Amino acid sequence: MNKILLILNREYLSRVKKKSFLFTTILFPAMFIAIIFGTSYLGNSVQKLDIAVIDSSGYFGDSLLAKVNAMDSSIIFSPVKDTAVQSNFRNAGYDGYIIIPPVVWQTGRKNIKFITDKTHGVGTESLIDNKLNVIWNEVVNEKLGIDNEKKIVLSTSSISIKEENQKNKNSNSSVSSTIGYVCGFLIYFILLIYGSQVMMGVMEEKTNRIAEVVVSSVKPFQLMLGKIIGISLVALTQFFIWVACIFLVYTVGKIMGSESAVAGSIVTGIQKSFASVNLPLILGCFAFYFMGGFFFYSSLYAAIGSAINEDVREAQSLSFPITLLIIFAIFMMTVAIRDPSGPIAVWGSIIPFTSPIVMMARLPFGVPDTVPVWQLILSMVLLVIGFLCTTWIAAKIYRTGILMYGKKTTWKEMIKWAFRK
Amino acid sequence: MNVLEVHDLKKYFATQKAVDGISMNIEEGGIFGLLGPNGAGKTTLLRMITGIFYQDSGDIIFDGKKFNPEKDIAHIGYMPEERGLYKKMKIGEQAIYLARLKGLSKSDANAKIKVWFERLEMESWWNKKVEDLSKGMSQKLQFVTTVLHNPKLIILDEPFSGLDPVNANLIKDEIFNLAKNGSTVIFSTHRMEQVEEICNRIVLVNKGKNILDGTIANIKNNFKENIYSLLADNLPSQENATLFEVVNQKPGKLLLKLKDNIKPNDVLLHFINAGSAIHAFNEVLPSLNEIFIKLVEGTATARQFQNVN
Repeated sequence: MNKILLILNREYLSRVKKKSFLFTTILFPAMFIAIIFGTSYLGNSVQKLDIAVIDSSGYFGDSLLAKVNAMDSSIIFSPVKDTAVQSNFRNAGYDGYIIIPPVVWQTGRKNIKFITDKTHGVGTESLIDNKLNVIWNEVVNEKLGIDNEKKIVLSTSSISIKEENQKNKNSNSSVSSTIGYVCGFLIYFILLIYGSQVMMGVMEEKTNRIAEVVVSSVKPFQLMLGKIIGISLVALTQFFIWVACIFLVYTVGKIMGSESAVAGSIVTGIQKSFASVNLPLILGCFAFYFMGGFFFYSSLYAAIGSAINEDVREAQSLSFPITLLIIFAIFMMTVAIRDPSGPIAVWGSIIPFTSPIVMMARLPFGVPDTVPVWQLILSMVLLVIGFLCTTWIAAKIYRTGILMYGKKTTWKEMIKWAFRK
Repeated sequence: MNVLEVHDLKKYFATQKAVDGISMNIEEGGIFGLLGPNGAGKTTLLRMITGIFYQDSGDIIFDGKKFNPEKDIAHIGYMPEERGLYKKMKIGEQAIYLARLKGLSKSDANAKIKVWFERLEMESWWNKKVEDLSKGMSQKLQFVTTVLHNPKLIILDEPFSGLDPVNANLIKDEIFNLAKNGSTVIFSTHRMEQVEEICNRIVLVNKGKNILDGTIANIKNNFKENIYSLLADNLPSQENATLFEVVNQKPGKLLLKLKDNIKPNDVLLHFINAGSAIHAFNEVLPSLNEIFIKLVEGTATARQFQNVN
């Protein structure tokens, strides 16, 4: 036991002391935010297009075109009378042209051609489509005699529904989904990043040839367990730093809330969303599923690390099935969030291979209404049994693998090592 | 008193009888050579003695009691053939870490490392990393970490590989020193000249079995072939010699193999009577290398894979 502590201590300190730890601790949330906002920003920015409109229907007048151009400047319609532009629109400064044929206003017209010299894709097509339809709606409204007042009624008058759980009045499915996503993805990233750290750590010991020196002082099992626990504590430390940062921002925001309107609104937003979920339960379960999932997967990664001989490509091909399982769990999670009581969500959150991610995504929807207590307990018990099994199997592979040099190991051999006496 | 006894030890792998009934006794305070060609089972044997592997059958008695890896590995220092250190770790920290894994307290480890580092002129290394060391230097460090905890039994697997003669001598002196101070050293190698120089007793292992066991002097005596070398002037013609056969002949020098029941004195008298001026006459004992090759020769150099039930 004492020796596990020594090993754990070294694994932990050697990682936390590194500059890269500080770096990733700061960089990871920054990247997380950058990815979320960056993709939505990039998704919105579309290249500018200048399109010549040759109208022979008589409906697309200059004033209507100018009106939609003013709404959104990414696509500019330029009314053109001269049909010669068709042959050399590029020279005339246009990216393409549209010839609107004569149209009967009651039926409209499908498949009006947008002629270009390169393909712009579905996004651009639908943008142009929408813009032309804005004009067309005006034309049709006018023909039907719908005035501005009726138009407002048409566009604003609608009905919508909102789910209310009678057992839990506070539950809010969009907040639950968000928290579910964040928890699930956090565990996913931690499993992948720190799981491969365990693998690399074991590989390092093997390629540095220190493994045999150390196992002449401690049992291979102690070495493996010390490493896994040490690295899991590194991950936990990082996580606590993040939680502390959020808490700090929250508290500072609360103090400043009385003075600044923006900070105040953020604080009340956070308060509102946390009020709708059982926060202590979520945090407690997060810690449990994080540790359980980590032991489950990282012992498998450790076993694989022990079977590799200094070749990184070998590491990739051997660890691929394990990584695939984790990626599969994230797919199950997206299904589970859409339908947190469906059979995929239920089974995915009980089977230990996927439960750390899927259960964390389901829990914010509420216990015991969405996730019955028996499911939660069964899932936890199975995860504990699961990680005891993988650790046991991994220890047997590790014991043999760590002292084997030179030969390329296959999955078949590893299974043989795992199940022999 | 035997510090280590091994009785009929066996360890079979799927395709190899790696160790197939080895027995040996190792007395306290000596330097013991474990010899054998590549793949003879030396490393597997050592891994069982150091508690890394469990034997399939047989007994290991350490210090008079049945070997208990949990407790006894604190009294063993093992330097495996496949050895290394954490590259990114500082040397002082690393030595302390490895010593604490052997059960030393932090302050105890610290004090002992200071003494050793001073002795081998390594004090300036403390805050360097292993990746800054040359191969010879890291071997020296590895040796220190192996013997740091004053083990009763020190096991060195090819300790001189990669060392230059100066550093090899340094380590050799330390090995003698440790033996003098009561530690027992098992020295595993296939380099015979080192064994003759260092060891008192040897065991020769081949194909998982021990085929030779004894002190170097005894073994050489057992394998002697009555060969004598003679340095003399005015040598007579050897054509009808009845006492011996000539193995090798150079001007002024003869290598003779005595026939059965012939005493060296008879041979000497023969040459004196013939009027030769004798400068030297001595027995030629076989070198360990010759004995080794003689015993191992004829067996396949590489072990064949076999099915073990």
